[in-house]
Amino acid sequence: MLEGIGLTKSFGSQKIVDNVSLALNPGEISVIIGPSGSGKTTLLKVLALVEQPDSGKIIVDDEQFNFPPVVASQPPWPKITVVFQQLFLWPHLTLLQNIQLPLSLRQKAYNGKDRRVAAGNLDPGFSDQDEQRRLGDLIELFEMQSFVHRYPNEASLGQRQRAALARAVILQPKYLLLDEITSSLDVEQISIILSYLRKLSKKGIGIVIVTHLLNFARDAADKIIFIDGGQIIESGGREVLDAPKQERVKKFLSVIESAS
Amino acid sequence: MSVVDILSKYHSAFESGLLTTFQLSLIIWSVGLTLGTLLGALAVKWKLAVGIPSRLISFTLSGVPILVFLFWLHYPLQSLLGVVIDPFITAALTLSIINLFAVADVIREVLSEFPAQYLIAGKVCGLSAQQILLHIQMPIVLRQTVPVLLMIQVNMLQATLFASLISVNEIFRVAQQINSQIYRPVEIYTALGLLFLAICLPLNGLALWLKAKYTRDNSER
Repeated sequence: MLEGIGLTKSFGSQKIVDNVSLALNPGEISVIIGPSGSGKTTLLKVLALVEQPDSGKIIVDDEQFNFPPVVASQPPWPKITVVFQQLFLWPHLTLLQNIQLPLSLRQKAYNGKDRRVAAGNLDPGFSDQDEQRRLGDLIELFEMQSFVHRYPNEASLGQRQRAALARAVILQPKYLLLDEITSSLDVEQISIILSYLRKLSKKGIGIVIVTHLLNFARDAADKIIFIDGGQIIESGGREVLDAPKQERVKKFLSVIESAS
Repeated sequence: MSVVDILSKYHSAFESGLLTTFQLSLIIWSVGLTLGTLLGALAVKWKLAVGIPSRLISFTLSGVPILVFLFWLHYPLQSLLGVVIDPFITAALTLSIINLFAVADVIREVLSEFPAQYLIAGKVCGLSAQQILLHIQMPIVLRQTVPVLLMIQVNMLQATLFASLISVNEIFRVAQQINSQIYRPVEIYTALGLLFLAICLPLNGLALWLKAKYTRDNSER
């Protein structure tokens, strides 16, 4: 389980995440929705240990991270990994090389007996054939054959999003955190990603998605979490969208639905 | 006497001058590139202790012409200290200092503006710090710095001509000495120009080629 307990994060005097607790089970898809500036992205970064919370606890399976930290410990990447809204693809590598680099370096690290192997953050190594097969499978799944040799600045935003997602899942993480990854995809591509995310969750990968697409949330989510002002206002299954209890959620949904 | 005749007749003198120029350049390049890179990296790591003093010195040097700096180190400073230093060493020291801070400026600028998000992306993909440095940070930094640094080194090579004014027998001084004997300035300085074109143009061409090939326009299309 990926669990955040009592997470708080401020930037300056402004509290962005305010005493948030949530849990993600393996194989579960959780969707975080909320208005702009509600703290969704910061919460995601804190859960992924990219941003250090001011206080709270994060538990990733049997590893516990307390904040403030008493002892600096190795974050459990790539067991937990993130795809950011800005994607952060490496500009000097093609999309294919972006996807391949973590895989080929992980194999080299395993062969060289990287200390992280002992720490348990690296799974057992695999053959070159496995590497090529995994790469080929991902490229086929995301239909990237026609553009995978382009550099990031030569590809469209939708193509880059698919590449960033492929890069994140190539090492088969246990927890995948996604920040607005569907924003520039068309309906067809969104449904492809949705089907892939479902496959990942069936393999036991826990997924957290920040999105503003309510239909995506409805179709994808096992759990929906509504955040505003850095706090969880309401959480539950699809009833959060279909029959919300909290007035704030009702107001948000009515604004979204009238705009669309 | 044509340019070719002059080059042929005085080839040993030109070779000697060229050798001195290259020796001077090698010292300036190696000191500038190694110490300048180190200074630039330290300036980013220790902004207060190293970065600010480095920028102040670099800013001050940018306001002093190379020739004035060279003359100041050769004449007034040595007189004040009561020492006599070989002009070759003075020239090497002066131009090395200028090169060092020019290189440090470039390295500091590129490192301090390096997008941290690329490093974060590496971390969450499970790359170690060393892997991120070797496969992500260094390739990007090298692509941005090598063309610029190459052009700076070409400028430093050209700046070695100033050493002739403090009696260093580099190529320009040799050309002056030959001219004082045979008074054929057109041919002599044309020969010198051709020599420098033969050396500098390929290097500048290489820098431009590297820049075009490896410095990507990363703006979104």
